[in-house]
Amino acid sequence: MVREVSESCVESLLAEIVLSYCSGFYANKPELAARRIEAIGFQVGHQLSERYTMDRPRFTDNLEAIKFICKDFWSELFKKQIDNLKTNHRGTFVLQDNRFRWLAHMSIDPSVQASGNIQDPSAMAENKSAQATGMHLYFPCGIIRGALSNLGIECAVSADISNLPACSFVIRIKA
Amino acid sequence: MIVCLAVVGHENNPLYIQSFTESDDALKLHHIVHCSLDVIDERVNNPKKSSPTINEAFLGLLYPTENYKVYGYLTNTKVKFILVTTDLDIRDADVRNFFRKFHAAYVDAVSNPFHVPGKRITSRTFGERVSTIVKSFGLSSAS
Repeated sequence: MVREVSESCVESLLAEIVLSYCSGFYANKPELAARRIEAIGFQVGHQLSERYTMDRPRFTDNLEAIKFICKDFWSELFKKQIDNLKTNHRGTFVLQDNRFRWLAHMSIDPSVQASGNIQDPSAMAENKSAQATGMHLYFPCGIIRGALSNLGIECAVSADISNLPACSFVIRIKA
Repeated sequence: MIVCLAVVGHENNPLYIQSFTESDDALKLHHIVHCSLDVIDERVNNPKKSSPTINEAFLGLLYPTENYKVYGYLTNTKVKFILVTTDLDIRDADVRNFFRKFHAAYVDAVSNPFHVPGKRITSRTFGERVSTIVKSFGLSSAS
């Protein structure tokens, strides 16, 4: 039985989680909020990986597990695969999604974008909006880390959003 | 008849162990399960090169004893399932089928948001579901 979830519900839920952690529970401690959101993602990824690897033979190496994340795992979550996978063959992998669904419907405050002049307040606001977008990425980072950790790979995951709506996830496997 | 089932975590920590006999031999069965952990380690670390199903989750017959047969299953997440049965003429396909059903039950149990990963599975629903699967296993191999 395939169970489905409404996409807009998930997006709203994610936005609401981020909002309530960042401006509710931990309004003054953004790094603590980030850690909490990442932990939620970790548990989700941990449990999902258990389910999605059920009918697969065991992975022989890390690359195979990463490929599983790029193809099957991503398809289950976002109905598409990761668009580009790069690696330095020394434990760092870059997964690029050219149109990351959870950021696709996100807009940056137009007043910030419209103001062309580089003044201090607007620059700060832009920095703030980037920070807010970054907050939304702790959840997917946690999902990836949770899934890999359950497969026996300890790693650190960070996200890069220098050219939206593309988004790349950097996985560093701990040696 | 299945006499004992165990789920063992990736650090060889017991997650679920249940015997299905009336007599008081739980300790003996736990001992058998304990011994089988070494066999699983050996299988996984020194796989037979010739075997085509080298990384299959189902590990097959681990070892037979006089009264029991012990089967193993290793998931992608390094969780081991161990099955002890008294049926000495048993088909691999049946066991494989059993493990698949059991795996599904296990996945549902650990997906419970109230389950703490790495801790024992205490869900009563899981227990009931497992005993249903265990009962149906006896029927399918008899027919």
